[in-house]
Amino acid sequence: MPALRRSDWYDLARDLNWNLSYVTEDEAFPEVMSNNYGITPNEKWWGWDEPYKVSYREYVHNQHGKDASVYSVNSVIARSRMFEELDPGWKSAIVAHYGAIAVPEYLAGLGESRMGRFGRAAAWRNMALFGTLDETRHGQIQTYFPYTLLDKEPRMDWAHKALHTNEWGAIAARHLFDDMFTANDAVSTAIQLTFTFETGFTNLQFLGMAADAMEVGDLDFGALISSIQTDESRHAQQGEPTVKILVENGYADVAQRLVDHMFWRSWHVFALLTGLSMDYYTPLEHRSHSFKEFMQEWIVKQFLDQFRDFGLEPSWYWESHFLPELDWYHHALHLGVWFWRPTVWWNPDAGVSPAEREWLEEKYPGWNDTFGVYWDTIGDNLRRGEETKTLPETFPMVCNMCQIPVVTPAGFRAGKLESPEPQIHIHEGRQYVFCSEPCKWVFQLNPARFAGHTSVVDRFLGGEIQPPTIPGALEWMGLSPEEMGQDATNYAWAFEGFEAPGAAAS
Amino acid sequence: MALFPIQGIYQDDFVVLLVPIDTEDPMTVVAEKIAHHAAGVRVPPASGELRIKYQGELLDPEATVVDAGVPPLGVLQAVAE
Ligand SMILES: [Fe+2]
Ligand SMILES: [Fe+2]
Repeated sequence: MPALRRSDWYDLARDLNWNLSYVTEDEAFPEVMSNNYGITPNEKWWGWDEPYKVSYREYVHNQHGKDASVYSVNSVIARSRMFEELDPGWKSAIVAHYGAIAVPEYLAGLGESRMGRFGRAAAWRNMALFGTLDETRHGQIQTYFPYTLLDKEPRMDWAHKALHTNEWGAIAARHLFDDMFTANDAVSTAIQLTFTFETGFTNLQFLGMAADAMEVGDLDFGALISSIQTDESRHAQQGEPTVKILVENGYADVAQRLVDHMFWRSWHVFALLTGLSMDYYTPLEHRSHSFKEFMQEWIVKQFLDQFRDFGLEPSWYWESHFLPELDWYHHALHLGVWFWRPTVWWNPDAGVSPAEREWLEEKYPGWNDTFGVYWDTIGDNLRRGEETKTLPETFPMVCNMCQIPVVTPAGFRAGKLESPEPQIHIHEGRQYVFCSEPCKWVFQLNPARFAGHTSVVDRFLGGEIQPPTIPGALEWMGLSPEEMGQDATNYAWAFEGFEAPGAAAS
Repeated sequence: MALFPIQGIYQDDFVVLLVPIDTEDPMTVVAEKIAHHAAGVRVPPASGELRIKYQGELLDPEATVVDAGVPPLGVLQAVAE
Protein backbone atom coordinates (compact mmCIF):
# COMPACT_ATOMS: atom_id res chain seq x y z
CA MET A 1 0.00 0.00 0.00
CA PRO A 2 1.39 3.43 -0.90
CA ALA A 3 1.86 5.62 2.17
CA LEU A 4 0.18 8.60 0.54
CA ARG A 5 -3.09 8.77 -1.31
CA ARG A 6 -2.78 10.00 -4.90
CA SER A 7 -4.72 13.15 -4.18
CA ASP A 8 -2.15 14.09 -1.54
CA TRP A 9 0.74 14.35 -3.96
CA TYR A 10 -0.70 14.36 -7.47
CA ASP A 11 -0.97 18.11 -8.08
CA LEU A 12 2.49 18.75 -6.71
CA ALA A 13 4.05 16.02 -8.83
CA ARG A 14 2.37 16.90 -12.08
CA ASP A 15 2.50 20.68 -11.94
CA LEU A 16 6.22 21.15 -12.41
CA ASN A 17 6.03 24.48 -14.19
CA TRP A 18 8.89 26.90 -13.87
CA ASN A 19 9.99 30.22 -15.29
CA LEU A 20 12.67 29.99 -17.94
CA SER A 21 15.90 31.92 -17.49
CA TYR A 22 18.48 30.29 -19.76
CA VAL A 23 16.32 30.55 -22.88
CA THR A 24 13.44 32.73 -23.95
CA GLU A 25 9.89 31.45 -24.05
CA ASP A 26 9.99 31.57 -27.85
CA GLU A 27 13.10 29.47 -27.93
CA ALA A 28 11.60 26.84 -25.66
CA PHE A 29 8.19 26.93 -27.35
CA PRO A 30 8.66 28.02 -30.97
CA GLU A 31 5.42 29.04 -32.65
CA VAL A 32 5.69 26.34 -35.28
CA MET A 33 5.69 23.73 -32.51
CA SER A 34 3.31 25.44 -30.15
CA ASN A 35 1.25 28.40 -31.30
CA ASN A 36 0.23 30.44 -28.25
CA TYR A 37 -2.13 32.54 -30.39
CA GLY A 38 -1.01 35.60 -28.46
CA ILE A 39 -1.63 34.18 -24.98
CA THR A 40 1.56 35.18 -23.26
CA PRO A 41 3.45 35.00 -20.92
CA ASN A 42 3.38 31.27 -20.55
CA GLU A 43 2.09 31.41 -16.94
CA LYS A 44 -1.33 32.06 -18.46
CA TRP A 45 -1.33 28.45 -19.56
CA TRP A 46 -0.43 27.01 -16.20
CA GLY A 47 -4.03 26.78 -15.07
CA TRP A 48 -4.50 24.02 -17.64
CA ASP A 49 -6.32 21.30 -15.69
CA GLU A 50 -7.13 17.88 -17.04
CA PRO A 51 -10.40 16.30 -15.97
CA TYR A 52 -8.97 12.80 -15.80
CA LYS A 53 -6.19 12.15 -13.31
CA VAL A 54 -3.88 9.19 -13.44
CA SER A 55 -0.40 8.55 -12.10
CA TYR A 56 2.31 6.90 -14.14
CA ARG A 57 2.26 3.82 -11.90
CA GLU A 58 -1.52 3.47 -12.34
CA TYR A 59 -1.23 4.11 -16.05
CA VAL A 60 1.30 1.32 -16.57
CA HIS A 61 -0.71 -1.05 -14.42
CA ASN A 62 -3.94 -0.33 -16.34
CA GLN A 63 -2.34 -0.54 -19.77
CA HIS A 64 -0.61 -3.78 -18.95
CA GLY A 65 -3.94 -5.27 -17.95
CA LYS A 66 -5.63 -4.03 -21.12
CA ASP A 67 -2.95 -5.45 -23.36
CA ALA A 68 -2.89 -8.78 -21.52
CA SER A 69 -6.61 -9.25 -21.93
CA VAL A 70 -6.95 -8.12 -25.53
CA TYR A 71 -3.94 -10.07 -26.79
CA SER A 72 -5.22 -13.20 -25.07
CA VAL A 73 -8.58 -12.81 -26.81
CA ASN A 74 -6.68 -12.50 -30.09
CA SER A 75 -4.55 -15.59 -29.52
CA VAL A 76 -7.58 -17.72 -28.71
CA ILE A 77 -9.59 -16.44 -31.67
CA ALA A 78 -6.70 -16.77 -34.11
CA ARG A 79 -7.02 -20.53 -33.66
CA SER A 80 -10.75 -20.54 -34.33
CA ARG A 81 -12.76 -20.28 -37.52
CA MET A 82 -14.38 -17.06 -36.40
CA PHE A 83 -12.97 -14.86 -39.14
CA GLU A 84 -13.97 -17.17 -41.99
CA GLU A 85 -17.53 -17.13 -40.76
CA LEU A 86 -17.93 -13.37 -40.66
CA ASP A 87 -20.14 -11.60 -43.17
CA PRO A 88 -18.16 -10.47 -46.26
CA GLY A 89 -19.34 -6.87 -45.91
CA TRP A 90 -18.17 -6.73 -42.31
CA LYS A 91 -14.78 -8.16 -43.33
CA SER A 92 -14.49 -5.37 -45.88
CA ALA A 93 -15.22 -2.79 -43.22
CA ILE A 94 -12.44 -4.26 -41.06
CA VAL A 95 -9.90 -4.42 -43.90
CA ALA A 96 -10.72 -0.80 -44.78
CA HIS A 97 -10.49 0.24 -41.13
CA TYR A 98 -7.06 -1.27 -40.51
CA GLY A 99 -5.58 0.23 -43.67
CA ALA A 100 -6.88 3.71 -42.94
CA ILE A 101 -6.26 3.75 -39.19
CA ALA A 102 -3.33 1.59 -38.03
CA VAL A 103 -0.42 3.72 -39.24
CA PRO A 104 -2.17 7.03 -38.48
CA GLU A 105 -2.27 5.82 -34.87
CA TYR A 106 1.53 5.80 -34.89
CA LEU A 107 1.44 9.25 -36.45
CA ALA A 108 -0.94 10.39 -33.72
CA GLY A 109 1.86 9.35 -31.39
CA LEU A 110 3.98 12.07 -33.02
CA GLY A 111 1.23 14.61 -32.39
CA GLU A 112 0.92 13.49 -28.78
CA SER A 113 4.67 13.60 -28.23
CA ARG A 114 4.77 17.11 -29.66
CA MET A 115 2.22 18.08 -27.02
CA GLY A 116 4.28 16.10 -24.50
CA ARG A 117 7.19 18.43 -25.17
CA PHE A 118 5.58 21.67 -26.37
CA GLY A 119 2.31 21.67 -24.45
CA ARG A 120 2.31 24.92 -22.53
CA ALA A 121 1.68 23.53 -19.05
CA ALA A 122 3.35 20.69 -17.16
CA ALA A 123 0.03 18.97 -16.43
CA TRP A 124 -0.68 18.95 -20.15
CA ARG A 125 2.74 17.55 -21.04
CA ASN A 126 2.20 14.85 -18.45
CA MET A 127 -1.15 13.91 -19.94
CA ALA A 128 0.31 13.93 -23.46
CA LEU A 129 3.04 11.52 -22.40
CA PHE A 130 0.30 9.02 -21.65
CA GLY A 131 -1.27 9.92 -24.97
CA THR A 132 2.00 9.16 -26.76
CA LEU A 133 2.17 5.75 -25.14
CA ASP A 134 -1.52 5.16 -25.93
CA GLU A 135 -1.09 5.92 -29.61
CA THR A 136 2.01 3.76 -29.84
CA ARG A 137 -0.03 0.92 -28.38
CA HIS A 138 -2.86 1.58 -30.84
CA GLY A 139 -0.45 1.50 -33.73
CA GLN A 140 1.06 -1.74 -32.52
CA ILE A 141 -2.15 -3.53 -31.73
CA GLN A 142 -3.82 -2.51 -34.98
CA THR A 143 -0.92 -3.77 -37.05
CA TYR A 144 -0.54 -6.94 -34.97
CA PHE A 145 -4.19 -8.07 -35.10
CA PRO A 146 -4.44 -7.90 -38.89
CA TYR A 147 -1.04 -9.60 -39.05
CA THR A 148 -2.56 -12.61 -37.26
CA LEU A 149 -5.23 -12.74 -39.99
CA LEU A 150 -2.87 -12.65 -42.95
CA ASP A 151 -3.29 -16.33 -43.78
CA LYS A 152 -7.04 -15.82 -43.96
CA GLU A 153 -7.03 -12.47 -45.74
CA PRO A 154 -3.76 -11.45 -47.44
CA ARG A 155 -4.99 -7.87 -47.87
CA MET A 156 -4.72 -7.46 -44.10
CA ASP A 157 -1.17 -6.35 -44.90
CA TRP A 158 -2.71 -3.07 -46.02
CA ALA A 159 -2.91 -2.27 -42.31
CA HIS A 160 0.76 -1.47 -42.67
CA LYS A 161 0.97 -0.88 -46.38
CA ALA A 162 -1.84 1.56 -47.16
CA LEU A 163 -0.34 4.73 -45.74
CA HIS A 164 2.92 4.03 -47.55
CA THR A 165 1.22 4.01 -50.96
CA ASN A 166 -0.35 6.52 -53.31
CA GLU A 167 -3.72 4.79 -53.12
CA TRP A 168 -6.23 7.66 -53.25
CA GLY A 169 -7.96 6.88 -49.94
CA ALA A 170 -4.55 6.66 -48.29
CA ILE A 171 -3.66 10.08 -49.74
CA ALA A 172 -6.93 11.46 -48.33
CA ALA A 173 -6.16 9.97 -44.90
CA ARG A 174 -2.57 11.22 -44.95
CA HIS A 175 -3.59 14.72 -46.02
CA LEU A 176 -6.14 14.92 -43.21
CA PHE A 177 -3.92 13.47 -40.50
CA ASP A 178 -0.87 15.52 -41.52
CA ASP A 179 -3.03 18.61 -41.22
CA MET A 180 -4.52 17.46 -37.91
CA PHE A 181 -1.49 16.18 -36.00
CA THR A 182 1.60 15.03 -37.89
CA ALA A 183 2.37 18.56 -39.07
CA ASN A 184 0.42 20.59 -36.52
CA ASP A 185 1.54 22.62 -33.53
CA ALA A 186 0.75 21.48 -29.98
CA VAL A 187 -2.02 23.99 -29.20
CA SER A 188 -3.84 23.44 -32.48
CA THR A 189 -3.40 19.68 -32.13
CA ALA A 190 -5.11 19.70 -28.75
CA ILE A 191 -8.12 21.42 -30.29
CA GLN A 192 -8.17 19.71 -33.66
CA LEU A 193 -7.12 16.17 -32.78
CA THR A 194 -8.28 15.70 -29.22
CA PHE A 195 -11.25 18.08 -28.93
CA THR A 196 -12.67 17.90 -32.44
CA PHE A 197 -11.70 14.53 -33.86
CA GLU A 198 -11.38 12.29 -30.82
CA THR A 199 -13.95 13.72 -28.44
CA GLY A 200 -16.24 14.60 -31.32
CA PHE A 201 -15.99 11.64 -33.65
CA THR A 202 -13.80 8.65 -32.85
CA ASN A 203 -14.56 8.16 -29.18
CA LEU A 204 -18.24 7.82 -30.02
CA GLN A 205 -17.53 5.85 -33.16
CA PHE A 206 -15.39 3.35 -31.28
CA LEU A 207 -18.16 2.84 -28.74
CA GLY A 208 -20.58 2.15 -31.58
CA MET A 209 -18.16 -0.05 -33.48
CA ALA A 210 -17.36 -2.16 -30.43
CA ALA A 211 -21.07 -2.83 -29.96
CA ASP A 212 -21.53 -3.60 -33.67
CA ALA A 213 -18.54 -5.96 -33.65
CA MET A 214 -20.03 -7.93 -30.77
CA GLU A 215 -23.38 -7.98 -32.59
CA VAL A 216 -21.91 -9.54 -35.74
CA GLY A 217 -19.77 -11.93 -33.68
CA ASP A 218 -16.37 -10.35 -34.32
CA LEU A 219 -15.05 -10.73 -30.78
CA ASP A 220 -11.49 -10.01 -31.90
CA PHE A 221 -12.27 -6.60 -33.35
CA GLY A 222 -14.75 -5.84 -30.58
CA ALA A 223 -12.15 -6.47 -27.87
CA LEU A 224 -9.56 -4.42 -29.77
CA ILE A 225 -11.76 -1.44 -30.35
CA SER A 226 -13.09 -1.25 -26.79
CA SER A 227 -9.57 -1.47 -25.46
CA ILE A 228 -8.53 1.44 -27.66
CA GLN A 229 -11.62 3.43 -26.77
CA THR A 230 -10.76 3.42 -23.05
CA ASP A 231 -7.44 5.16 -23.87
CA GLU A 232 -9.09 7.52 -26.29
CA SER A 233 -11.69 8.71 -23.81
CA ARG A 234 -8.83 9.67 -21.47
CA HIS A 235 -6.36 11.36 -23.79
CA ALA A 236 -9.12 13.11 -25.75
CA GLN A 237 -9.62 15.20 -22.62
CA GLN A 238 -6.62 17.35 -23.47
CA GLY A 239 -8.92 19.32 -25.72
CA GLU A 240 -11.27 20.82 -23.17
CA PRO A 241 -8.73 22.56 -20.93
CA THR A 242 -6.97 23.95 -24.01
CA VAL A 243 -10.19 25.36 -25.43
CA LYS A 244 -10.97 26.83 -21.99
CA ILE A 245 -7.67 28.72 -21.87
CA LEU A 246 -8.24 30.18 -25.33
CA VAL A 247 -11.79 31.20 -24.44
CA GLU A 248 -10.87 32.65 -21.04
CA ASN A 249 -8.17 34.75 -22.63
CA GLY A 250 -10.53 36.19 -25.23
CA TYR A 251 -9.57 33.93 -28.11
CA ALA A 252 -12.84 32.06 -28.58
CA ASP A 253 -12.63 33.01 -32.27
CA VAL A 254 -9.35 31.11 -32.61
CA ALA A 255 -10.82 28.00 -30.96
CA GLN A 256 -13.92 28.34 -33.14
CA ARG A 257 -11.90 28.54 -36.33
CA LEU A 258 -9.74 25.56 -35.41
CA VAL A 259 -12.83 23.50 -34.62
CA ASP A 260 -14.72 24.59 -37.74
CA HIS A 261 -11.73 23.75 -39.92
CA MET A 262 -11.18 20.29 -38.49
CA PHE A 263 -14.81 19.35 -37.96
CA TRP A 264 -15.46 19.70 -41.68
CA ARG A 265 -12.39 17.73 -42.68
CA SER A 266 -13.14 15.00 -40.14
CA TRP A 267 -16.71 14.80 -41.33
CA HIS A 268 -15.69 14.05 -44.90
CA VAL A 269 -13.31 11.23 -44.05
CA PHE A 270 -15.75 9.95 -41.45
CA ALA A 271 -18.52 9.80 -44.08
CA LEU A 272 -16.19 7.86 -46.34
CA LEU A 273 -15.14 5.25 -43.79
CA THR A 274 -17.93 5.04 -41.27
CA GLY A 275 -20.80 6.04 -43.53
CA LEU A 276 -20.11 3.16 -45.88
CA SER A 277 -19.57 0.67 -43.05
CA MET A 278 -22.74 1.50 -41.18
CA ASP A 279 -25.21 1.81 -44.04
CA TYR A 280 -23.86 -0.66 -46.60
CA TYR A 281 -21.20 -3.03 -45.24
CA THR A 282 -22.66 -4.02 -41.85
CA PRO A 283 -25.08 -6.93 -42.35
CA LEU A 284 -28.66 -5.70 -42.41
CA GLU A 285 -29.82 -7.84 -39.49
CA HIS A 286 -27.15 -6.31 -37.26
CA ARG A 287 -27.71 -2.66 -38.02
CA SER A 288 -28.96 -0.93 -34.90
CA HIS A 289 -29.16 2.51 -36.49
CA SER A 290 -28.48 4.28 -39.77
CA PHE A 291 -25.37 6.41 -40.24
CA LYS A 292 -27.57 9.51 -40.28
CA GLU A 293 -29.22 8.50 -37.00
CA PHE A 294 -25.80 7.85 -35.48
CA MET A 295 -24.62 11.26 -36.64
CA GLN A 296 -27.71 13.03 -35.34
CA GLU A 297 -28.05 11.25 -32.03
CA TRP A 298 -24.38 11.10 -31.12
CA ILE A 299 -22.08 13.37 -33.06
CA VAL A 300 -24.39 16.31 -33.73
CA LYS A 301 -25.87 16.29 -30.25
CA GLN A 302 -22.49 16.08 -28.56
CA PHE A 303 -21.03 18.87 -30.69
CA LEU A 304 -23.94 21.16 -29.97
CA ASP A 305 -23.43 20.49 -26.24
CA GLN A 306 -19.70 21.13 -26.57
CA PHE A 307 -20.29 24.37 -28.45
CA ARG A 308 -22.73 25.53 -25.79
CA ASP A 309 -20.55 24.52 -22.85
CA PHE A 310 -17.54 26.40 -24.17
CA GLY A 311 -19.27 29.48 -25.50
CA LEU A 312 -18.72 28.52 -29.13
CA GLU A 313 -21.23 28.60 -31.96
CA PRO A 314 -22.28 25.87 -34.36
CA SER A 315 -19.95 26.18 -37.36
CA TRP A 316 -20.98 28.66 -40.08
CA TYR A 317 -21.71 25.80 -42.46
CA TRP A 318 -23.74 23.75 -39.94
CA GLU A 319 -27.25 24.40 -41.26
CA SER A 320 -26.35 25.29 -44.82
CA HIS A 321 -23.88 22.52 -45.72
CA PHE A 322 -23.24 20.00 -42.98
CA LEU A 323 -26.78 18.92 -42.01
CA PRO A 324 -27.96 18.65 -45.64
CA GLU A 325 -24.96 16.43 -46.49
CA LEU A 326 -26.16 13.88 -43.91
CA ASP A 327 -28.86 12.93 -46.41
CA TRP A 328 -26.75 12.32 -49.47
CA TYR A 329 -22.98 12.66 -49.22
CA HIS A 330 -22.00 9.19 -48.01
CA HIS A 331 -24.49 7.53 -50.38
CA ALA A 332 -22.66 9.16 -53.27
CA LEU A 333 -19.26 8.18 -51.88
CA HIS A 334 -20.45 4.61 -51.50
CA LEU A 335 -21.55 4.49 -55.12
CA GLY A 336 -18.21 5.95 -56.18
CA VAL A 337 -16.12 3.57 -54.09
CA TRP A 338 -18.09 0.63 -55.42
CA PHE A 339 -17.83 1.76 -59.04
CA TRP A 340 -14.11 2.50 -58.74
CA ARG A 341 -13.64 -0.66 -56.67
CA PRO A 342 -10.31 -1.65 -58.30
CA THR A 343 -8.84 1.49 -56.69
CA VAL A 344 -9.42 0.38 -53.08
CA TRP A 345 -7.76 -2.38 -51.03
CA TRP A 346 -10.99 -3.86 -49.72
CA ASN A 347 -14.00 -5.49 -51.37
CA PRO A 348 -16.82 -2.96 -51.44
CA ASP A 349 -20.15 -4.51 -50.51
CA ALA A 350 -22.82 -2.97 -52.75
CA GLY A 351 -25.37 -3.52 -49.96
CA VAL A 352 -28.33 -2.89 -52.26
CA SER A 353 -30.20 -6.19 -52.31
CA PRO A 354 -34.00 -5.75 -52.32
CA ALA A 355 -34.25 -5.96 -48.51
CA GLU A 356 -31.34 -3.56 -48.03
CA ARG A 357 -32.88 -1.09 -50.45
CA GLU A 358 -36.09 -1.19 -48.47
CA TRP A 359 -34.12 -0.34 -45.34
CA LEU A 360 -32.32 2.50 -47.12
CA GLU A 361 -35.61 3.94 -48.37
CA GLU A 362 -37.04 3.77 -44.87
CA LYS A 363 -34.01 5.48 -43.29
CA TYR A 364 -33.51 7.96 -46.14
CA PRO A 365 -36.89 8.65 -47.75
CA GLY A 366 -36.30 9.33 -51.45
CA TRP A 367 -33.18 7.13 -51.62
CA ASN A 368 -34.69 4.98 -54.38
CA ASP A 369 -35.45 7.96 -56.63
CA THR A 370 -32.07 9.55 -56.09
CA PHE A 371 -29.60 6.70 -55.62
CA GLY A 372 -31.61 3.58 -56.45
CA VAL A 373 -31.68 4.62 -60.10
CA TYR A 374 -27.89 4.32 -60.43
CA TRP A 375 -27.97 0.87 -58.87
CA ASP A 376 -30.85 -0.14 -61.20
CA THR A 377 -28.70 0.67 -64.22
CA ILE A 378 -25.64 -1.05 -62.76
CA GLY A 379 -27.77 -4.10 -61.83
CA ASP A 380 -29.21 -4.26 -65.36
CA ASN A 381 -25.71 -4.30 -66.81
CA LEU A 382 -24.63 -7.07 -64.46
CA ARG A 383 -27.72 -9.13 -65.24
CA ARG A 384 -26.99 -8.74 -68.94
CA GLY A 385 -23.49 -10.03 -68.29
CA GLU A 386 -21.90 -6.68 -69.09
CA GLU A 387 -19.56 -6.42 -66.14
CA THR A 388 -17.14 -4.17 -68.05
CA LYS A 389 -19.83 -1.48 -68.08
CA THR A 390 -19.72 -1.49 -64.29
CA LEU A 391 -16.02 -0.70 -64.16
CA PRO A 392 -14.30 2.68 -64.58
CA GLU A 393 -12.66 3.95 -67.74
CA THR A 394 -11.67 7.32 -66.36
CA PHE A 395 -11.18 9.08 -63.02
CA PRO A 396 -13.46 11.23 -60.98
CA MET A 397 -12.22 14.72 -60.18
CA VAL A 398 -10.77 14.86 -56.69
CA CYS A 399 -11.20 17.67 -54.15
CA ASN A 400 -8.03 19.66 -53.54
CA MET A 401 -8.83 19.78 -49.82
CA CYS A 402 -10.38 16.51 -48.67
CA GLN A 403 -8.81 14.54 -51.58
CA ILE A 404 -12.09 12.68 -51.96
CA PRO A 405 -13.87 12.44 -55.34
CA VAL A 406 -16.14 15.35 -56.17
CA VAL A 407 -19.75 14.16 -55.98
CA THR A 408 -21.54 17.50 -56.18
CA PRO A 409 -23.84 16.21 -58.96
CA ALA A 410 -25.36 13.76 -56.45
CA GLY A 411 -26.07 16.59 -54.03
CA PHE A 412 -27.69 18.52 -56.85
CA ARG A 413 -29.78 15.55 -57.85
CA ALA A 414 -30.84 15.03 -54.22
CA GLY A 415 -32.06 18.62 -54.20
CA LYS A 416 -29.45 19.72 -51.64
CA LEU A 417 -27.14 21.77 -53.86
CA GLU A 418 -28.01 24.54 -56.28
CA SER A 419 -25.60 23.37 -58.95
CA PRO A 420 -23.93 20.08 -59.85
CA GLU A 421 -20.66 21.91 -60.49
CA PRO A 422 -17.66 21.83 -58.16
CA GLN A 423 -16.21 24.91 -56.48
CA ILE A 424 -13.41 26.39 -58.56
CA HIS A 425 -10.77 28.63 -57.03
CA ILE A 426 -7.71 30.24 -58.61
CA HIS A 427 -4.73 30.81 -56.33
CA GLU A 428 -1.48 32.21 -57.70
CA GLY A 429 -2.33 31.11 -61.21
CA ARG A 430 -3.25 27.54 -60.32
CA GLN A 431 -6.81 26.26 -60.52
CA TYR A 432 -8.04 24.33 -57.50
CA VAL A 433 -11.18 22.19 -57.48
CA PHE A 434 -13.20 21.71 -54.31
CA CYS A 435 -16.09 19.41 -53.50
CA SER A 436 -17.81 21.94 -51.27
CA GLU A 437 -17.73 25.52 -50.04
CA PRO A 438 -16.33 24.52 -46.63
CA CYS A 439 -13.43 22.64 -48.29
CA LYS A 440 -12.66 25.80 -50.25
CA TRP A 441 -12.98 27.86 -47.06
CA VAL A 442 -10.45 25.66 -45.25
CA PHE A 443 -8.02 26.19 -48.11
CA GLN A 444 -8.53 29.95 -47.95
CA LEU A 445 -7.84 30.02 -44.21
CA ASN A 446 -4.23 29.17 -44.89
CA PRO A 447 -3.37 28.84 -48.58
CA ALA A 448 0.36 28.55 -47.89
CA ARG A 449 -0.31 25.39 -45.91
CA PHE A 450 -2.27 23.65 -48.66
CA ALA A 451 -1.35 25.20 -52.00
CA GLY A 452 1.63 23.00 -52.81
CA HIS A 453 -0.21 19.70 -52.55
CA THR A 454 -1.29 17.93 -55.72
CA SER A 455 -4.30 15.64 -55.91
CA VAL A 456 -4.29 12.29 -57.68
CA VAL A 457 -5.83 14.00 -60.72
CA ASP A 458 -3.21 16.79 -60.66
CA ARG A 459 -0.47 14.15 -60.59
CA PHE A 460 -2.12 12.21 -63.39
CA LEU A 461 -2.32 15.30 -65.58
CA GLY A 462 1.17 16.35 -64.56
CA GLY A 463 2.59 13.16 -66.04
CA GLU A 464 3.62 11.57 -62.73
CA ILE A 465 1.52 8.50 -63.45
CA GLN A 466 2.89 6.39 -66.27
CA PRO A 467 1.45 5.01 -68.40
CA PRO A 468 -1.41 7.51 -68.01
CA THR A 469 -4.10 4.86 -68.04
CA ILE A 470 -6.32 3.18 -65.46
CA PRO A 471 -3.95 0.19 -65.18
CA GLY A 472 -0.99 2.58 -64.91
CA ALA A 473 -2.73 4.46 -62.12
CA LEU A 474 -3.64 1.28 -60.27
CA GLU A 475 -0.04 0.18 -60.30
CA TRP A 476 1.04 3.66 -59.17
CA MET A 477 -1.41 3.28 -56.26
CA GLY A 478 0.32 0.06 -55.21
CA LEU A 479 -2.54 -2.22 -56.20
CA SER A 480 -1.73 -5.53 -57.85
CA PRO A 481 -4.63 -7.37 -59.51
CA GLU A 482 -4.99 -9.63 -56.45
CA GLU A 483 -5.22 -6.65 -54.14
CA MET A 484 -7.77 -4.62 -56.09
CA GLY A 485 -11.26 -4.47 -54.64
CA GLN A 486 -14.00 -6.62 -56.08
CA ASP A 487 -17.69 -6.78 -55.30
CA ALA A 488 -17.85 -8.35 -51.82
CA THR A 489 -20.60 -10.83 -52.68
CA ASN A 490 -19.68 -11.50 -56.29
CA TYR A 491 -22.77 -9.55 -57.46
CA ALA A 492 -25.24 -11.76 -55.57
CA TRP A 493 -27.25 -8.62 -54.72
CA ALA A 494 -27.95 -7.94 -58.41
CA PHE A 495 -29.57 -11.31 -58.94
CA GLU A 496 -31.59 -11.53 -55.78
CA GLY A 497 -35.26 -11.49 -56.77
CA PHE A 498 -34.34 -12.03 -60.45
CA GLU A 499 -34.27 -15.31 -62.34
CA ALA A 500 -30.70 -16.65 -62.37
CA PRO A 501 -29.18 -16.11 -65.82
CA GLY A 502 -29.52 -19.21 -67.99
CA ALA A 503 -31.77 -20.93 -65.44
CA ALA A 504 -34.84 -20.70 -67.71
CA ALA A 505 -32.98 -22.11 -70.70
CA SER A 506 -31.73 -25.29 -69.05
CA MET B 1 -5.10 18.02 -82.67
CA ALA B 2 -4.23 17.89 -79.00
CA LEU B 3 -5.47 16.02 -76.00
CA PHE B 4 -7.36 18.35 -73.70
CA PRO B 5 -8.75 17.51 -70.23
CA ILE B 6 -12.12 18.79 -69.11
CA GLN B 7 -14.34 18.18 -66.10
CA GLY B 8 -17.46 16.52 -67.41
CA ILE B 9 -20.84 16.11 -65.76
CA TYR B 10 -23.42 13.94 -67.44
CA GLN B 11 -27.00 14.95 -66.73
CA ASP B 12 -28.30 13.22 -63.59
CA ASP B 13 -25.00 11.41 -62.92
CA PHE B 14 -23.54 11.58 -59.39
CA VAL B 15 -19.91 12.50 -59.94
CA VAL B 16 -17.66 14.99 -61.77
CA LEU B 17 -15.44 13.14 -64.24
CA LEU B 18 -12.05 13.81 -65.73
CA VAL B 19 -12.74 13.45 -69.45
CA PRO B 20 -10.01 13.63 -72.07
CA ILE B 21 -11.21 15.25 -75.29
CA ASP B 22 -9.50 16.67 -78.35
CA THR B 23 -9.11 20.39 -79.05
CA GLU B 24 -10.76 19.85 -82.44
CA ASP B 25 -13.82 17.99 -81.14
CA PRO B 26 -17.07 19.85 -81.78
CA MET B 27 -19.36 20.01 -78.74
CA THR B 28 -21.48 17.18 -80.16
CA VAL B 29 -18.45 14.90 -79.84
CA VAL B 30 -17.51 16.33 -76.44
CA ALA B 31 -21.03 15.47 -75.25
CA GLU B 32 -20.66 11.92 -76.52
CA LYS B 33 -17.32 11.55 -74.80
CA ILE B 34 -18.84 12.60 -71.48
CA ALA B 35 -21.90 10.42 -72.04
CA HIS B 36 -19.73 7.41 -72.75
CA HIS B 37 -18.76 7.19 -69.06
CA ALA B 38 -22.25 7.55 -67.61
CA ALA B 39 -25.14 6.95 -70.04
CA GLY B 40 -26.28 3.36 -69.76
CA VAL B 41 -23.52 2.92 -67.20
CA ARG B 42 -25.04 4.56 -64.13
CA VAL B 43 -27.97 6.50 -65.55
CA PRO B 44 -30.37 5.62 -68.36
CA PRO B 45 -29.32 7.40 -71.57
CA ALA B 46 -31.05 10.77 -71.77
CA SER B 47 -33.63 11.08 -74.51
CA GLY B 48 -33.20 14.04 -76.85
CA GLU B 49 -30.21 15.78 -78.30
CA LEU B 50 -27.24 16.23 -75.99
CA ARG B 51 -25.94 19.76 -75.62
CA ILE B 52 -22.98 21.17 -73.72
CA LYS B 53 -23.55 23.75 -71.05
CA TYR B 54 -20.63 25.90 -69.97
CA GLN B 55 -20.92 28.58 -67.29
CA GLY B 56 -24.69 28.44 -67.55
CA GLU B 57 -24.85 28.87 -71.37
CA LEU B 58 -25.50 26.24 -74.03
CA LEU B 59 -22.58 26.17 -76.45
CA ASP B 60 -22.89 26.00 -80.22
CA PRO B 61 -22.87 22.26 -81.13
CA GLU B 62 -20.19 22.90 -83.76
CA ALA B 63 -17.88 24.93 -81.51
CA THR B 64 -14.66 23.47 -80.13
CA VAL B 65 -13.22 24.20 -76.68
CA VAL B 66 -10.90 26.68 -78.38
CA ASP B 67 -13.81 28.49 -80.08
CA ALA B 68 -15.75 28.61 -76.84
CA GLY B 69 -12.79 29.73 -74.72
CA VAL B 70 -12.98 26.74 -72.37
CA PRO B 71 -9.76 26.42 -70.35
CA PRO B 72 -8.16 23.09 -69.44
CA LEU B 73 -10.31 21.46 -66.76
CA GLY B 74 -13.22 23.74 -67.59
CA VAL B 75 -16.49 22.33 -66.24
CA LEU B 76 -18.78 21.11 -69.03
CA GLN B 77 -22.24 19.68 -68.43
CA ALA B 78 -23.79 17.34 -70.98
CA VAL B 79 -27.53 18.00 -70.86
CA ALA B 80 -30.44 16.72 -72.95
CA GLU B 81 -32.47 19.27 -74.83
FE1 LIG C 1 -5.45 6.25 -30.85
FE1 LIG D 1 -13.60 18.35 -50.22
